[in-house]
Order: sequence, then C-alpha cells, then structure tokens
Amino acid sequence: MEAPYDDRLLHQRVVGGDESALGEVYDRLSPLIFGLALRVTRDRVIAEDITQEVFLVFWERPLAYDPERGTLRAWLATIAHRRAVDHVRAEERRKVSAMGPRLFEREPARLEDAVLAADEAERVRQAVTSLPDGLREVVELAYFGGRTYRQVGEELGVPEGTAKSRIRLALRRLADALAEEEV
Amino acid sequence: MNPVERLYLDTMMGDPEVPARSLRPQLLAGARARRRPAAPTAPWAEPYAGRVAAMDALLASAGEDDWSRVIVEGWTLQELVAHLAAKDGLLAAAVGAPVLGPPMGATDALGRTGDVQAYERARSPEQTRRDWRAQADALCRRLADLEPTTPATLDGMEIPVRDHILARGLETWIHTADAAETARVRLPHPVADHIRPTADLCARLLPWTMLLSGLDGSGRTLHLTLTGDGGGEWQVPLGVEDPRPGPPDAHITADVVRFCFLLGGRGDPAGFPADLDGDLALARDVLATAPALSGP
Repeated sequence: MEAPYDDRLLHQRVVGGDESALGEVYDRLSPLIFGLALRVTRDRVIAEDITQEVFLVFWERPLAYDPERGTLRAWLATIAHRRAVDHVRAEERRKVSAMGPRLFEREPARLEDAVLAADEAERVRQAVTSLPDGLREVVELAYFGGRTYRQVGEELGVPEGTAKSRIRLALRRLADALAEEEV
Repeated sequence: MNPVERLYLDTMMGDPEVPARSLRPQLLAGARARRRPAAPTAPWAEPYAGRVAAMDALLASAGEDDWSRVIVEGWTLQELVAHLAAKDGLLAAAVGAPVLGPPMGATDALGRTGDVQAYERARSPEQTRRDWRAQADALCRRLADLEPTTPATLDGMEIPVRDHILARGLETWIHTADAAETARVRLPHPVADHIRPTADLCARLLPWTMLLSGLDGSGRTLHLTLTGDGGGEWQVPLGVEDPRPGPPDAHITADVVRFCFLLGGRGDPAGFPADLDGDLALARDVLATAPALSGP
C-alpha cells in the first residue's frame, strides 16, 4: 500500500531537515504510538521512552522509511511494536537470569530488605522448599536452573504462558512467606 | 492479522492514551542532538540548506563499505563529499564566509576539488562528513546576512549569489541522488517550494546552455511547461541578451524534476520524455544542449 500524499509531504520535509515537520508527525501520531507501546509494556514510563525513541529514529534515519511501501503510521507502529516487545523480552531475561535473592529486585521495598539479610540465600531456599510441588518445580528451574520461560514450559510440557503465570504465582507466594518470617 | 495491526486496532478502539506530560519539547531537543536540522539561512538559500540536510541523512546510514564505493566520476562517496565541500568552499570564499579544509590554493572547481580530496583522504569518512557539513552550514550562516542580488564571482562568472546557491543546491541534490541510487535507497524529492526556484534557475540557464553549445537562440522564445510539484509555466527568451520573451516559437512539456536533472547532466537528451510542439527542431536543440553547463 502506498502512503497518502500527507505522509509523503511530511517525509519530504523531514528528509530536508525541517524540524517543524517532525513536530507535526509527533502531534499526529504520538497518541497511537504511545497507546501501542503501553499496551505491550504496561508501563507508562517505558512507553514514553519508546515513543520518544520511535520519533527520534524516524528523524535520524528518515530514508529508512519508504512511502512507496506503506503509510508512515504503519512504519512507526512497527518500530514501536518491535521496541516494546524487545523491552518485554529483555525484562523477562533479566528476571530469569537474576538468580536467588536478586529475583526480588522489583518486589516491594520491605521484601527487598528481607532478602538483603545475611542468611538470605538459606531463607530463600527454605521458603522454596515449603512451596507446593508444582510451584517449587518452576522456581527451581527458572531461578536456580537459569531456564527461560520457554525452556521451563518445554521441560514441564506446558505452554510458555502457563509456565510464566506459575512462576509469577510462585514468586508471590515466596514473597509472602519471606515477609511473614520477617514480621 | 499481524500483531502490529491487531495492536494498532486495539489501541484505536481504546481510550486515547497520552503520556503524563507532553514529550514534544524533549523530543525536539533530542532530535537536534541526533541529527542537525537544516541550517538557518536566508529564505532564498533554503533549497540548498534542505539538500544539505538530506545528503547528511543519507550519509548517516553509510557504512564502511558505502564510503569506499565509487559513486560517480570515479570518486568514492568520501571523495564525492569532499568534492561538494570543495565547491561550497569556493562559493564561501566568494561571499566572505569561512573556508574550511586545506589552505586555498587552486580556485577553480576541479583544482580545489583535487586539493580537498587529497586532504580528506587522510581523514576518516566521518570527519569528511563533518567537514563538509560544517562548510555548508558556515555558508548558510553567511548568506543569512546577504541580499539575494549580491554579485558573486565563481570560476570567472559573476552572477547574483542567489543563483550560485540554487546551483549548489541542485548539485548537492543530484549527487545525493547518485549516492542513494548506489545504496539502493529511494530519495524523496525536495518540497515544491524548493523545487520551484531551482527549476526557475534551470529555465533561465537555457539561453546559456545553447550558446555554450554554439547555438544562438536570439529572438526566439520557448514556452516551457514543467509538470509535478514545484513546476509551472515559463516563457524563456533564448538569446542571452534578449530583454524579454516574444511570442513562443516552440513548446516543451516535461516533468519538473527530470528537467532539473537533465540540466544537471543526468538523463539522455535524445531519450528525454517530453512533449514537443511548434518549432520541433528548436525544441530538440534546447533539450540536446541542456546539459552543457553540467560538470562534475
């Protein structure tokens, strides 16, 4: 699909270094781009960063967009989607690779304090042991075994999404258990 | 449906989301840092400033291989950019703007090109790009203070500075198109407001291109219709000393961008797509001699 005339004019102006054209593109398309990034990341700050980055990329490398091949909206949406998905994946990897105590990095502050105790590792292990079998298994694989969500799913013969939700549930239980102990 | 389309539709259906605060001022500040906008200059020099910004955007994506690839005239991309800097520097010297690069020796286009290319070959492509851009922006800054009719002498030709800078804009445009073609990148046209004065310069050059080719068009008039954004109608007296156009002897209709490129030495006059009317021999002479002023 070819881009409409408006897109072509804005593209011509951006290629010619006209900043006000970038402002116009932003005014027209930023609600869409931000909404899209927010849907994927569910994080307003990250979605704002991605929105900025999408328009900056267009400004810096305007010739990467070809109006013969599609609308500007679709082009920017594609970049936003890719960045948002990259972010979510990187976040998952970060959580997965953060073994042991570091897995609570993003939990409430009180729990962070709890896991920073000197005997944190041992306490975490004990808390893990006290989890129901199904949950203990996923935590052991993901956090002590360093597997990704997908690998956990494959090993247990369940879909990746199921593995992911079990891990989340297990983390919440662990956090609760550690918090109780602290009181 | 691909995920982006689905998300896009979901987003459109939902309540419009807006960031907590406007990101616009931040965006524009960030944009300036990532890629310099067209240099501020006099309105009549803006077509040139716009082509410089477009070339810079193309160069931003050039990898090591691209810089060493031959584009035109046997010059690599780096040598081509040095050539543009050399010619911009000659105009800078003619209007009292700073001249960057090696000390001025030769003052003709080819001589200066050789000097600047020799100087830039010892530098990295990224440095060459910065030198060229700095020279172009220095020229733009200087032109902001000048009247468009200020005479400037370049290669022995004294013409208003406005026409010199339009010619620099056309050359920068054409070489950007050369480099884009090699890189297989589609280069969008300049905006209509920038094409129009460039086409006007090309139309006014026609008596000269004929004369330089040994044809005297004195007393003859061409009706030129250029189509597409930035095009228009011109009545061109074909003698260099004709004070005003007479009744048209021939009529040429052609695409405005193709016409500008023909004057710039791109495109074969014999196969040039145009509708001719009236004195066909005259119309063909005009087209055949049109590239006479184009050089490297």
